Amino acid sequence: MSTTLPEPIIKIEGLHFHYNPESEHPIHALKGIDLEVYPGDYLVIVGHNGSGKSTLAKNLNVLLRPTQGDVQVKGLNTRDPAHTLTIRSSVGMVFQIPDNQIVATIVEQDVAFGPENLGVPEDELKERVEWALGVVDMLEHRNRPPHQLSAGQKQRVAIAGVMAMKPEVLVLDEATAMLDPEGRRAVLTAVRQLNQEGVTVIAITHFMHEAAEGNRVLVMEAGKIVMEGTPRQVFSHVEELRALQLDVPQTTDIAYRLNQRDATFPPDLLLVNEVADEIQRRTNGRGDA
Amino acid sequence: MSEQPFIQIRDLHHSYLRNTPLEVTALRGVNMGIHRGESVGIIGRTGAGKSTVVQHFNGLIRPLEPGKVIVDGQDMSDPKVDVRRIRQKIGLVFQYPEQQLFERLVGDDIAFGPKKLGMEQADRRERVKWAMDMVGLDFEEFKDRFTFSLSGGEMRKAALAGVLALQPEMLILDESTSGVDPRSRRELLERLLTLHKEHNLTLAFVSPNMEDVAGLVDHIYVMDDGRVVMSGTTREVFSQPEKLRQHGLGVPQVTEVAHELISRNIPVERIPVTVEEGVEEIWKTLNS
Repeated sequence: MSTTLPEPIIKIEGLHFHYNPESEHPIHALKGIDLEVYPGDYLVIVGHNGSGKSTLAKNLNVLLRPTQGDVQVKGLNTRDPAHTLTIRSSVGMVFQIPDNQIVATIVEQDVAFGPENLGVPEDELKERVEWALGVVDMLEHRNRPPHQLSAGQKQRVAIAGVMAMKPEVLVLDEATAMLDPEGRRAVLTAVRQLNQEGVTVIAITHFMHEAAEGNRVLVMEAGKIVMEGTPRQVFSHVEELRALQLDVPQTTDIAYRLNQRDATFPPDLLLVNEVADEIQRRTNGRGDA
Repeated sequence: MSEQPFIQIRDLHHSYLRNTPLEVTALRGVNMGIHRGESVGIIGRTGAGKSTVVQHFNGLIRPLEPGKVIVDGQDMSDPKVDVRRIRQKIGLVFQYPEQQLFERLVGDDIAFGPKKLGMEQADRRERVKWAMDMVGLDFEEFKDRFTFSLSGGEMRKAALAGVLALQPEMLILDESTSGVDPRSRRELLERLLTLHKEHNLTLAFVSPNMEDVAGLVDHIYVMDDGRVVMSGTTREVFSQPEKLRQHGLGVPQVTEVAHELISRNIPVERIPVTVEEGVEEIWKTLNS
């Protein structure tokens, strides 16, 4: 059976991380993380401020190195400085504030910046920039200065810039937190598209309904992974999530509260249509009389 | 209400980089009235003009073009207006808190305003403690922390505490809670609502997200392209999901469920804006 299991693209074993380990008050941000991420996964990480999510993300592409334990990307250990560049070109990161990630004065040049520095030849560079801008639906803005774009558009340019380096893994660290609903929808659509094209996605978010996008959800608390499963499995633990200071999507919250009043009402509904379907089924059954 | 609004905005226009080739029109005739003790939401997509409007509330932008801004009975186009006094009464917290923190230690940063007001050391300490308590930052744990070592969410709380420390009569939160996790956010908002109810603190929330303000505000102004395009109670505004969508906005999932049921001819008595209301409405529908 083990022969049919794919190799994990990211493998984390016993990862601990301290900020300022030498100081009087080191901050123990990660306390023993074990995690395997497989090619094509869409992994969503949730947890409240300070739970260690971003620290974990930064350990994935050598922005930070473990204090203890190991992080391997495609079998390469992040501790070995010789692997840093290879790992960084495999794992691309997009951060919260788009303005901090834009470097050039024209959208196209901004997207080309990363691959150009990787030494991608001219012809391929053009192709990649076009492909990346196409995926995030920003081709028509290719000649505009980034500062004229909306926040959602800028964030899509930032994602295109990362994607143009053809990473196998895309890490989004609250990349939609500063966007309006339209911008958020556009970014999520772009990310979903990339995932369907085979890119492994690791998304950190506060928006629980965004977590429903993933195939796996991971809940972090005080530097540890405390829950893991499909969105439906994780969100069915309403009480535990509340105890961890987290929300559940409103739809799940409604289903859970109705289940408490009527035990036959399913508590684990995730989509607006699922809730409506269930209510329709129940009212039809009676309304016919 | 016969009483004059705390903030009154009439036919306000504003352009950035006026009379240059780069001129951008931000406001195209905005009308708003906010009464003392009210809680309002100013909602709209990026670029709608929300931040430009609220910066008129405390004189960060002075009206130079057609339109009137009356704050606390004073015409803000009058150059003799005491803007410092207005800013003390009306606190504004921005979206990127790291830009609002400038002292080395958290406690000093929050004490900055009260110090400028000439408060005594002991009173100042009490005030800082109170403000930190209000935003949920433990005084002993955080007062001597370096501001730059705070997480994004903690920075937002510290910036808010710095503004609260002046005990303003009105607080404007310009997307100040984006990036704060949902539970901390709710705790923060509940504390502000307590101040609103018990001390008549006037509140204005600026956000691109409808669910951010559901259950928090008495009145919503929806802005788009420099104008107020919808104005009403939360329920009135949420009852028009199509119109909201046209303006680039969504409704909370609970409101979406209700609209979905209505579109399937399943009766819902009134459009819910919070989960609690939604559960009650659906329960009624299920048992009718």
